[in-house]
Amino acid sequence: MTLTQSQKRGFFGACMLAAILIAIGVVTTFFASNYQLRLVYSAFVNLIVVLGLQVFMGNSRLTNLSHSAFMGIGAYAAAICVTPVAMKQIALPDAPWGLNAFALDPVTSAIIALIVTGIVSLAVGVFIVRMTGTGATIASLAVLVIVHSIFLYRTDIFKGNQAFFGIPQVFSLTSIVILAVVVVFIVRGFRESPWGVMLRASADDETGAAAMGVNVRRLRLIAWVLSGLILATAGIAYAYFLGTISARPFYFNHVFLTLAMLIFGGMRTVTGAVLGTFAISFGLEIVRWLETGPKVIGINLPELLGLSGIMLGLVIVLTMALRPVGVMGDREIEEVFSKR
Amino acid sequence: MLELNGVSKSFGGVHAVRDVSFVLEQGEVRGLIGPNGAGKSTLVNLISGLLAPTAGSMTLDGLPLKGKSAHQRARLGIARTFQNLRVFPSLSVEQNIDVARYAAGGAPLVDAAIAEFGLRDKLTARANALSYGDQRRLEIVRGLALGPKVLMLDEPAAGMNEEETAALGASLRWVQREAGCALFVIDHDLKFIMTLCDRITVLDMGAVIAEGSPQEITQNPKVISAYLGEDIGAEA
Repeated sequence: MTLTQSQKRGFFGACMLAAILIAIGVVTTFFASNYQLRLVYSAFVNLIVVLGLQVFMGNSRLTNLSHSAFMGIGAYAAAICVTPVAMKQIALPDAPWGLNAFALDPVTSAIIALIVTGIVSLAVGVFIVRMTGTGATIASLAVLVIVHSIFLYRTDIFKGNQAFFGIPQVFSLTSIVILAVVVVFIVRGFRESPWGVMLRASADDETGAAAMGVNVRRLRLIAWVLSGLILATAGIAYAYFLGTISARPFYFNHVFLTLAMLIFGGMRTVTGAVLGTFAISFGLEIVRWLETGPKVIGINLPELLGLSGIMLGLVIVLTMALRPVGVMGDREIEEVFSKR
Repeated sequence: MLELNGVSKSFGGVHAVRDVSFVLEQGEVRGLIGPNGAGKSTLVNLISGLLAPTAGSMTLDGLPLKGKSAHQRARLGIARTFQNLRVFPSLSVEQNIDVARYAAGGAPLVDAAIAEFGLRDKLTARANALSYGDQRRLEIVRGLALGPKVLMLDEPAAGMNEEETAALGASLRWVQREAGCALFVIDHDLKFIMTLCDRITVLDMGAVIAEGSPQEITQNPKVISAYLGEDIGAEA
């Protein structure tokens, strides 16, 4: 099969984004402190989340608020499989179904986590794709709350708000950079694939797309499940680096943070997802520093606790008000640099 | 080929389409005319599956269309354009056409149709950057990319000047010749319809009041009194 014009450009654009990600990784490896490295790592985890969000939201233009739950499902599923039996006997003494009596290698555990998340997102997606607009948004919010409640109250499996510890820390910055690059190619490839083009057509005009033979629900479901798998990947990468997880990071604050990243950068493009993630991650670090009331050129600034939350809210409100399509709008990176 | 049997549609108490029956033959160019509100667009929506009839049945090559959704009918070979343009604004011209091509698995004639309708140099442009006439032509090419058995055109000449309308007529005859699909054309431009179509169906108040060759239609007293007025002979 020959590639269309936009597919060739898409491949080129994905290469440019990959080069940027690799450059960030290399600079971090050589120049960053341990603390900064952890920040960059978490920015890369969030990048994969935002890319996962973009696959569904950017192409179908339906809002998903449950994404952090799917990240959590991936993280917990992998953690339960990979954590050594001795650790699990301590952490999960009352686990049912023999969950604390086996341990698998990290790769097998990751595959199982992807399968589990894929099945759950398929089951949820069947309902989500039947809805439109507000219905889908509210239903996805309900999914977030349901999953979080399960994490929180099935303490025998998930430990709730306590730390689930003892997960082998098999990931490094290099691993996540490679993973992010692969995901960028997958997400951009999907956008320019027949599925992506047909799904975007349905987002432009659902009736018109149906009259052109597009099975809108089926395509939404494909994008939804792919999104779920990418979110699970982010969750696995998170668990495999930190070695400890709990229910809290997979709830509303994280939903809000990653949503702000996607909206700010522009949800219609992969470039927007990358730009938004790094811009907000960097901006947030500055704001966190300001929150503590630092001394700047001899002036003691007051402590401003809660400033980061306010800033994220403002980013969403201002982007929605002033430029609803985000910084990138409809343009991918290669379109910015081409003459036309 | 496409057969309608007693198709009716009512919205609440309003009978938009009443007991419409006709057969569209392969390769035929059929005009559908009638005053505003006669139910022409509703009929196209019923055939394309965007609306479900309240009564009656439809078949395509003997296959019942009941229960088939809009996208299934499109894949079976029922293509259409819209009175209010429905191009995909954020996609390029080429991608607009690709959507139909992907859904239907490709039609051999598409590249030739792109050239015939003057879109060859505009393939990379975003669809919402096209002129009104080009958007109408894009909808036709997009419909052809489904490789259809029937292409229904809802006011394809709307908003076009005389020159553009004449060119459109020539292109549509090209479609009939090359694609071999039936054309089902709604328009208010009688001269356009009369010169383009083999047969014409006249709809009034949702019901078929006449059917025949352009000649017969212009002389049908029912048509003259119900809709066209005295100047029909003059216009055609």
